[in-house]
Amino acid sequence: MLGYREFTLRKLASIGPRYLPFADVATKDVPLSRLLRLSLFQVTVGMALVLLVGTLNRVMIVELDVPASLVAIMLALPLVFAPFRTLIGFRSDTHASALGWRRIPYIWKGTLYQFGGFAVMPFALLVLSGYGEAVDAPLWIGYGSAAIAFLLVGAGVHIVQTVGLALATDLVPQEDQPKVVGLMYVMLLVGMVGSALVFGALLETYSPGRLIQVIQGAAVVTVALNLFAMWKQEARDRTRAQRMETELTQSFQAAWRDLVKTPGMVPLLVAIGLGTFGFGMADVLLEPYGGQALGFSVAETTKLTALLATGTLIGFGIASKRLASGGSPTGMARTGAAIGIPGFAAIILSSMGGGVVMFLAGTLATGLGAGLFGHATLTATMRAAQSDRIGLALGAWGAVQATCAGIGVALAGILRDVMLAFSSETGLASYAPYNIVFLIEILFLLLAIVAITKLRFSLSRQGDIAKTRDISSVEVS
Amino acid sequence: MSDDEDKVWPTGLTLKEAEEVHSYLIDGTRVFGAIALLAHLLVAASTPWLG
Repeated sequence: MLGYREFTLRKLASIGPRYLPFADVATKDVPLSRLLRLSLFQVTVGMALVLLVGTLNRVMIVELDVPASLVAIMLALPLVFAPFRTLIGFRSDTHASALGWRRIPYIWKGTLYQFGGFAVMPFALLVLSGYGEAVDAPLWIGYGSAAIAFLLVGAGVHIVQTVGLALATDLVPQEDQPKVVGLMYVMLLVGMVGSALVFGALLETYSPGRLIQVIQGAAVVTVALNLFAMWKQEARDRTRAQRMETELTQSFQAAWRDLVKTPGMVPLLVAIGLGTFGFGMADVLLEPYGGQALGFSVAETTKLTALLATGTLIGFGIASKRLASGGSPTGMARTGAAIGIPGFAAIILSSMGGGVVMFLAGTLATGLGAGLFGHATLTATMRAAQSDRIGLALGAWGAVQATCAGIGVALAGILRDVMLAFSSETGLASYAPYNIVFLIEILFLLLAIVAITKLRFSLSRQGDIAKTRDISSVEVS
Repeated sequence: MSDDEDKVWPTGLTLKEAEEVHSYLIDGTRVFGAIALLAHLLVAASTPWLG
């Protein structure tokens, strides 16, 4: 009996580690296949973004007859959580775990919230739209449950992306970080484009049952991909676990003050905000602009988005290559913003007689600029982060980036609607409101360039001090 | 049962580590339970199955 028990236990112990979700040793070099696997969390993030901003936006308004303003408010709810990314990142930096884990527990919790939100969402939407007997249900049930569903998904996305990026930064040495950033961005784009196509095809013929299947299917895919992504990524570490237990943790306020004091961090965040806002406003406007100003059909405007994405991909590629071979991230970010300005100018001019070719060239250029800018600023943030406060720095990046992109998209829509209403009264051309928004974008990109130039200037002055004192700072070169 | 905190059991985990893994399981069950409850309530609101 005892012999049998010994035997089983030994067998169990020998097969155990293979089926446990952690790596037993931290390897120095991380193979590409493992990074590819990790980057799958970005696919789920992209999927959630597309489902919220694209698919559900349309389904709620067209098929479910929910008032557009209510839809806008519901879809804006996840933005509320964006600033908390800083706190989430910091908490993961200082997480105390008996397993020595810092990132995996948070990715897991974020995945749970993402899944939970998607699991409830279709029913919440059906109740919100008054489907079946829900017509008689009190209004607050629909409002409340839809809000809960959107908040859960939003919180999950913020947590998974912040902590996932921090884990990726932990895993690779600094010189490989540009490649990882490129990979993460590409996977986000892949997730967004792929899921947009799949959701579009699946919801071609809408029925409430189909809506439930699609959203809950997204929930299951999210859990599956995220589990696969985080499997064995973070090493179990007993010495780190013991350190976590005894270590006094810094307060969030103190850590935040340290981050703000890091040379160049505040101007970098300001530049990220301005640039993201500038590029972000274009996303939702290019398609209707192509339709109204240049008479594109629906199929053609969809190709426009593909062209924009192609430009962005090229931008990621160039940025990955140049930054990995020692280029300066801040310089690259400035180039990106600088490419965006003639891009938007070409888009404006295309409606004033420049023609379709100019419009397409402008679209490609803004895509390219956005790719370069996004990649370079994230790389700059990773490099500026202290090794034990990576989560905090990436949380600050995500908070600024997500907030500004969200506000940009929302404001662009509102501005356009207001000016469309205004121009129908005054008899302005239909493309005029768009051009005003594009002009505002150029202005913000100019401000971003000013911010980056200031940053580079102040850093080159501080560079000498930093070298002697060995202070980590945003890279200057 | 030994009270030695550093003893590694045949699972490859110490007691504390096993408790932490278990806590994730418990948390997950609670969240899934709450989500399932909410989903059932919502479905009952739109297509009641209890009279």
